[in-house]
Amino acid sequence: MNAAQKLMSVRRDFRERDVRVVLVALIIAVATVATIALFASQLQHTLVSSASSFLAADRQLEAENGRPVPPEWLEEARSRGLETGQMIEFSTMISGPEGFQLASVKAVSDEYPLVGEVEIQHQASGGAREMVASGPAPGEVWINPRLLRLLNLEIGDSLEVGNLPLKVSKLLIREPDGGFRLSSLAPRVMMHVDDVAATGAVQEGSRVEYIYLFAGPEDALDGYYQWLEPKLGPSHEWEGVREGETLSRSFDRAERFLLLGGSLAVLLAAVAVAVASRQYALAQRDTVALLKTLGLQGRGIGRLYLRRLALWGLAGIVGGLLVALPLFRVLVALLSEALERPVEVYLDPSAVLPALLTAVVSLFAFAYPPIRRLRRVPAMRVLRDQPGETGRAALPDLIIALLAIFGLVWLYAGELVLVGALLGGLALLLGILGLFGLVLMAVLRRVNGGGNAWRLAFVGLYRHRQASLAQLAVFAMTIMLAATLILVRTSLLSDWRTQLPEDAPNHFLINIAPNAVEQVDAFWADRGAPLENLYPMVRGRMTGLNGQPVKEAVSKDERINALNRELNLTWMEQLPEDNEIVRGRWFDASDTEGVSVEADLAERLGLELGDRLTFTIGSAEVTEPVVSIRTVQWDSMKPNFYVVFPPEGGLVNMPATWITSFYLPEQKKFALNDFSREFPTVSVLEIDHIIGRIQDIVQQVTQAIETILALILAAALVVMAAVVSATLRDRQREGALIRTLGGRQSLLVRSTMLEFALLGLIAGLLGVLAAEAAVYVLQARMFDGSFRWHWQVILTLPLVSALLLALFGRWQLRTVLTVSPMLLLRRLE
Amino acid sequence: MNQMTDFTRNEARPMLRVSGLSHRVRLETDTLTILQGVSLEINRGESVAIVGRSGSGKTTLLGLLAGLDTPSEGVVELDGAEISKLGEDERAKLRASRVGFVFQSFQLLPALSALENVMLPLELAGIEAPEARARELLERVGLGERLNHTPRQLSGGEQQRVAIARAFASDPVILFADEPTGNLDNRTGQAVSDLLMQLNREKGTTLVMVTHDEHLAARCGRQLNIEAGILTEPDTAREQAY
Repeated sequence: MNAAQKLMSVRRDFRERDVRVVLVALIIAVATVATIALFASQLQHTLVSSASSFLAADRQLEAENGRPVPPEWLEEARSRGLETGQMIEFSTMISGPEGFQLASVKAVSDEYPLVGEVEIQHQASGGAREMVASGPAPGEVWINPRLLRLLNLEIGDSLEVGNLPLKVSKLLIREPDGGFRLSSLAPRVMMHVDDVAATGAVQEGSRVEYIYLFAGPEDALDGYYQWLEPKLGPSHEWEGVREGETLSRSFDRAERFLLLGGSLAVLLAAVAVAVASRQYALAQRDTVALLKTLGLQGRGIGRLYLRRLALWGLAGIVGGLLVALPLFRVLVALLSEALERPVEVYLDPSAVLPALLTAVVSLFAFAYPPIRRLRRVPAMRVLRDQPGETGRAALPDLIIALLAIFGLVWLYAGELVLVGALLGGLALLLGILGLFGLVLMAVLRRVNGGGNAWRLAFVGLYRHRQASLAQLAVFAMTIMLAATLILVRTSLLSDWRTQLPEDAPNHFLINIAPNAVEQVDAFWADRGAPLENLYPMVRGRMTGLNGQPVKEAVSKDERINALNRELNLTWMEQLPEDNEIVRGRWFDASDTEGVSVEADLAERLGLELGDRLTFTIGSAEVTEPVVSIRTVQWDSMKPNFYVVFPPEGGLVNMPATWITSFYLPEQKKFALNDFSREFPTVSVLEIDHIIGRIQDIVQQVTQAIETILALILAAALVVMAAVVSATLRDRQREGALIRTLGGRQSLLVRSTMLEFALLGLIAGLLGVLAAEAAVYVLQARMFDGSFRWHWQVILTLPLVSALLLALFGRWQLRTVLTVSPMLLLRRLE
Repeated sequence: MNQMTDFTRNEARPMLRVSGLSHRVRLETDTLTILQGVSLEINRGESVAIVGRSGSGKTTLLGLLAGLDTPSEGVVELDGAEISKLGEDERAKLRASRVGFVFQSFQLLPALSALENVMLPLELAGIEAPEARARELLERVGLGERLNHTPRQLSGGEQQRVAIARAFASDPVILFADEPTGNLDNRTGQAVSDLLMQLNREKGTTLVMVTHDEHLAARCGRQLNIEAGILTEPDTAREQAY
């Protein structure tokens, strides 16, 4: 190793403060981005399987016509490598020793469930629960605990389904596919599909649904659907998991939030790397001048520094990944807790790529330019400082850096809106800052010196104007980025909380006959669980658009579940509170025609106001113009409808039943037994378990988000510490000199803290305002929430940042105050 | 603040009185004695050179005389105030109003212009119209054209002239100079010491200078030698009297 190499050795390098800051920034950036990317892909993976478990499969094919599908359809699926399974659902009377009860029977094949697990209980009262990946064996039934009480049965007793006696072996607590399907009737009896024939309950013409389950790779499923689609009849319904899923919507937002967090980590890291590298480059000028004097050429110097950049990058990546992996495991553990089941760890190697790219781009777009300029340091510098070396960034460097960061965030988040909002906010901030800086300096210039701490603080700001403005810019940017995240998190969480309040409806009543509506309403009002709005419901299929069959009229690329099944149509006078008209107008009392269509469906069908939709209801056809398009809160746990008619409109005289939802607290659930006896034809859908689960999940996801937020705030603190400590040496020298020249300690402390507090206050104010601008855009475009000013944050954040920076300033002074000024001056020479 | 020592001038009193001054630094294994039993008296308006080799303890002595540090033992009385009894802030106040400094390595703040560097002690002492006074002094040291240049844009000699202007800015009664020409070539050093002596005479300031330069020492009214922490006065045995 020659002397020059020794001078440039990496070990020596890592002892430099600036290099350590670069490294810490890189490690945090790589760790945050990698953790988030890994977790996002884990979430995606888990979500698909968890959503699939809502179907107990990846796809379901339902035959509502009471006939099984041809066996060759299933053979074809198996030949394509898909797993298949079968269910038969029907309603029948079951009998026990104490009488009869209408039950909803689900008969399942051995393969059930293809995805997800069934939760069972072994004993009647309070026994342990267990998750199992199968249904009952032939000869056995698993029943809803309520049925046990209704029929006064014990576990081990027999009950008869049709003509067949079956042994009650387990209590059925939760089925994976017990989701929101309105056709499922409670209480549930689950049996084996092979026993169905012997019951005699299923005959030609009885109301029976044959449901087929499919699971396998996504492309095999798609290929199979393409083969199958032309063979499907009107009563066949092919169902995937993507649409209308409450969970996935919640997760979707969480995922976007995480992406936003990751993007902010990228930006913060870039800022820290840029600041520290510039300091490093400035500090390296003497070394470079010396090397040049000793005969090393510019190119050789460039190579030397490139090599260390590469080493920094490597160290940052390795360090970052070492932090990311345990963090990722923690998040997976949280997720697993949320879902109340073990989650298979899904370590997607490609998820690490954005993190690696972040390290490389930060280094080359932000650290390299100031270091590259080192080649131009004149050898003459050894003898004397050369004028004109300000170390200021050149414009092309700045543009390259901005483009790089733009590209990186875009690539990472894949959301142009996000990139635009963040970079727009940043640009706005820098613009305001530039103007503000000019004004500030003009004002400060007029402040005369004096022994007063305030005046000294103002004078200090002015004297260090270049450093002050640079620090102001970095602080403001950092605060803006952190504030954006805090603001989005705050509104995201409050959105979630309002979305599923404690008393969200947790039971549905379906199939209420028109003449029973009043009695049902009175039944629950008497028991202190009043019903929410009651809606009429007419089953119908959307068949035509502007005179053409609807499936031909829409793009082939769109697979729209709503067209593959009967829709629940309704009429109503008042727009539900949580619906919002986005185009057109809501119905007048006088309207006798027109429909209001849900916004997503309208978009996918390409509907415009005035388009004419045809519905087939039973044997009748109704054609109506679209008069309004409306957004719907699908996750409101209330009845929601794709298509709404006016009260005097197209559904007049159509056969309707009524639907409603309401909140029934746990301790009043026993009333369901009386209700079922009194209104045997009304179906009760219990979704309280599901709601509980969603609330749990939201809570855990919130925790995951807070973890990420903490990580990013830590990154912000590192940036601030890096910037403050960049001027540490100068400040110490200045402090020592001021003490030598007779400045009192308290004056020094007060003026320095004031100076930093002023910086913090201004940066905080500008940062939080720019953050509001960014959040305004993000809220509107990414998180579909409404924007409001966050006064609390606007008022507190600048104060917090002022305090924080004042403390940073005080911390910088600690040596100056404890060491004798003479010693310090000598040490700093 | 209220019980602050009386700093009012008393022409009869010596400017600086030191008795039994010792200074020790504790190292990891043992204690290093830097100064031992130093006693001396310097009168108002005197110019005194303390001469010694590197490591003889002369800069440490200067720091203690100026109240930048406190001695392990002994008494330093500056213009009637017993420095070792003053708190840090009182010492600072004393420095601000009475003491000027010139350092070997100039000790100008790189972020400030020449003008701002000279203004700094004026502001700390709360003197009105600091800029006009600083401007005047810089003109006096021949840098009237370089007011807005930062230290990096000035040569060593020019930087030391700024430092001299700063030292005289607050009208000190005593000036401490630590090897003021140590970092300068002969000719520049000569010019700088001329300026220092001239201003010192004009203002009637007491000057205490530490140097290893015999020529510079010879320009002072009195010379003291320091060797291995012990101070001796070549001509008389005056210090023995205390």
